Parts: sequence; C-alpha cells; structure tokens
Amino acid sequence: MLIEIENLSVTFHAQGRVVRAVQDVSLSVNARESFGLVGESGSGKSTILRAICGLAPISGGSIRINGKPIATPRGKAFSRQVQMVFQDPYASLHPRHTIDRTLSEPLAIHGLPGTDQRISQALTDVGLPTAFRFRYPHQLSGGQRQRVAIARALMLEPEILLLDEPTSALDASVQAETLNLLSRLRAERGLTFLMVSHDLAVIDHMCDRVLVMQHGRAVEELTREALASAQMKTDYARALFAASADRMLQG
Amino acid sequence: MSQLSVKNLRVTFDTEAGRVEAVRGVSFDLGRERLGIVGESGSGKTMTGRAVLRLIRPPGKIEADQMMFDGVDLMKASEREMRALRGPRIAMVMQDPKYSLNPVMKVGSQLMEGLRQRDRVSKAEAHAAAIAALTAVQIRDPERVMEAYPHELSGGMGQRVMIAMMLIPNPDLLIADEPTSALDVTVQAEVLSILDNLVKTRGMGLIFISHDLRLVARFCDRVLVMYKGKVVEELAARDLMQAKHPYTQGLLNCLPRIGGDRGPLPSLDRDAAWAV
Repeated sequence: MLIEIENLSVTFHAQGRVVRAVQDVSLSVNARESFGLVGESGSGKSTILRAICGLAPISGGSIRINGKPIATPRGKAFSRQVQMVFQDPYASLHPRHTIDRTLSEPLAIHGLPGTDQRISQALTDVGLPTAFRFRYPHQLSGGQRQRVAIARALMLEPEILLLDEPTSALDASVQAETLNLLSRLRAERGLTFLMVSHDLAVIDHMCDRVLVMQHGRAVEELTREALASAQMKTDYARALFAASADRMLQG
Repeated sequence: MSQLSVKNLRVTFDTEAGRVEAVRGVSFDLGRERLGIVGESGSGKTMTGRAVLRLIRPPGKIEADQMMFDGVDLMKASEREMRALRGPRIAMVMQDPKYSLNPVMKVGSQLMEGLRQRDRVSKAEAHAAAIAALTAVQIRDPERVMEAYPHELSGGMGQRVMIAMMLIPNPDLLIADEPTSALDVTVQAEVLSILDNLVKTRGMGLIFISHDLRLVARFCDRVLVMYKGKVVEELAARDLMQAKHPYTQGLLNCLPRIGGDRGPLPSLDRDAAWAV
C-alpha cells in the first residue's frame, strides 16, 4: 500500500464552535492506483487531501506513505513525493508571477539543475506551447491555467498526485481535454492519483475505486464495477448515483 | 404565439484591440416554453441573455433587426420602459450567488427591497411575500434565512435565494444563466426541479443558459447550440441524439459517463468554418 489512512479525524475550532470536518475515515491506495473520493460540498473530501498535505489540523488517526508515518511539518522529502492540484486555477496560480516563475520555484527550492530545459519539457508535456512561459495567468484561459497547475505539480516528479476537483471550474469540453491529459500522464509516469470530485461520472471515468463520503464520514467504498452496475448498499450512495445517472441521456 | 421574438441580434464591443463580435446574428422565437442555449465559454450565450434585457454596458453595443417582447419593441424602448420590464416582466438569475447578492445586506432586506421600492407595499406585506418566495424554492427555514447574510448561506441556498428573488414579481419570462453550474449534483437536481415546477405552475417562459448539453437536453423543450457568437444548430431536445452538427455531437460526447469505457474522451475539434 502506498497511501494508508487510518481512522483520520480533522477537527476545526472556530469561535468556540467545534467542527468535525472528517471523522474516523480510513482508506488505502495501492501504488499506481487511482482512488476517488466523492460526496457533496461539506462532506470532508477535500479536507482529507488537505490533511495529507498538512493544510488541515489532524485530531486523530494516522497517515502513512510507503509504510512510514508522514513527518510533521511536511518536509522537502514529502513534497518530492506528493503534490496537489487545486480546484480553481483562477485562484491557485500567483497572479503576478509569470508561468516561468511559477514553474521554476519548486526547482529553486529543491536546488535542482536544468531549470530552463525542465520548464520547456513540462509545458510540452501538458500540451502547452513553450511560448507560454513568459505569460501571466490572466493571459491564459481556464483550461490552460489548469494545465499550468498540473505542470507545476509535476515539476518535482512526484509519485502521488492529490487532485482536488481538478475540472469542476472548467467547461464540459475543456474538462474532457484535462481528464485525458491526466489519464495520459498517469499512464506515462506511473502516477498514483487520489482524486476528489462531486461528479460521480468523472470519478468513474478516472478511478478504480471510490469512497463515498457524507457529513465527514465514509459511507461506502465501491469498486468501479459495482458502481457501473449500480450495486451500492447504502441509500446515500444510491441517491448520489441516481442524481448523476439522471443526467445521462439514453442513447 | 411567440412571446419573445429576436431577429438577427448582434452584440459588439469596440475595444482598443479592435472590434469584438460576441453575438453575430442570432434569431429565435420563444413561446411559453423552455429554451436552452448551450455553448462553451465565450460562445456568446450569456451575452444573448443579457442583450434581451439590454444589460450590456458600453462599449458594448446591441443591434438587431427585431427584438420584440409581448408587443414591446425592446430596441426602441426608453431606459424608463426597460426598467419597468426588468423584474416584473423579464427576470434574470445570474450565475454565481457569491457575486450577485449584496454581501453587506441581509437576505431578507434584499428580497423585500424591490417590493418596498417599486410596488410601495407595506413592510408586513413585503415580509410575507419574501417568506412565501423562499418557501416556494423549498428553503426549510425561511425566517432564519431572511436574517442571514449571503456569506452565511451555502452555494445551493444562495442560488435558491436568487431564484426566489426573481420570482417575487412573478415575471412572464425567466432568463437563467448557468443557475446550477456552481452546485453539487444532488443540489443541482433539486434546483432544477424547483425551476421546472415554477415554469409549469406559473406558465412562465424560460431561457436556460448552460455549457452542459445533457443537462439542458433533459430539462428544456428546445435547444440552441452556439459557437463563436452564432447559432450552429437548433433542435428539439428529444432529437438531440440525432444532432447533425459536429460541434453539437462533440459537446454531447465529451462528458464521461458512469460505466463508459475509459478510453480518452473525444475532444472537440473546432472548425473555424462553422463560425463563418
């Protein structure tokens, strides 16, 4: 198992209120597997990804990568291994940094050589012309920005990519291109995906196994086969499936 | 009988970088039905919706051979006449509740504002009408929502508040611009069924703008597919699977499906010739 999460709980304390965003969630992901987390907003699915990255306060349970508990604070070794792609490419890229600066920063921090060549390669890999290097984010479309965000995450050649709703801010047609890009990169580089989405169809297209979440708890884990043949045991998973399947036209 | 008739609508922006034609010759007629307008971002679908209400700021210009709503010529109407139309006759639900509600005003005051200012009704009457509108969009706890600020509501609630606000004056035509794109699938289904009910029970006309072709097809009677400011195909929603235009087919096929094969999703080949 590459990623093992056991009884993870995340609790926020805000103005005297206690919010249990994630409660006792366990999951494990094999190397080169693609694992999906699905649920409505507020179900805690993104919080799990943030907890792995050290962006959310863990109040219980453990996270292990390659059998070793992850270090707190997450060090350089962690970022070489795990990277995250955020939901909104309009908000996740620095508006006043050129694409070149955004992509070269991880290399500078980790003291890696060959910046120039690596950046050109990274842009080519995500299907962008190398001339985009000296543009600013506002000069790119949403789909192009998300490609830059993916290129940034891949600069350090991580094994694990955490994807937080990578296509939900994009148009249907641009979503297809971005999903194709992610599938291709996973096949080429043997990446492991832990992907969050509220769209069951996207998760089904991308992932081998799915964990359905609601109100911070795990509801049901499904394999892709069980999902396709609608063999879910819990009512909530079935309702979510119905809401998604509802949108599919026959034909 | 058509309620709204648009012939050869054009929206252009004169910018420093030259003339941008956002909408180029769109024509359609709308009765008391549900019309879907579909296209990618930048296809001019939102601009078409806004042009009907003449809500396009300079340097944007609206031109049309004809734009009639229920006997009123929208091209010739004065600003004063337009104001009388916007809201009571034609209402528009904007895309994102986060940006479209006033962040420093309680939801209740925003809902009552129009009634108090325009219709000069008493505070108690306005309050009752606002509560009724919130109940109509299935908000369970309307009294609490009236006292809440927009940031205290979830996306789904915010969107429902926007729909409620547009329904208070009981318009004849509702223009909904991506009303569910910011929402989860489960909430999306709820908001759609609310809209659907309202259209049925009140006999409103509806223009539903979205980038999600399948969603529109399920929900509307007729669909206009737009590409680069032009309508490339118009068809009845039930015939969508027989769509002829490659762009429509592309939009239809690019969505993943549950249980579909996991090969690469067909991407859209955009052909510049379609926009000519």
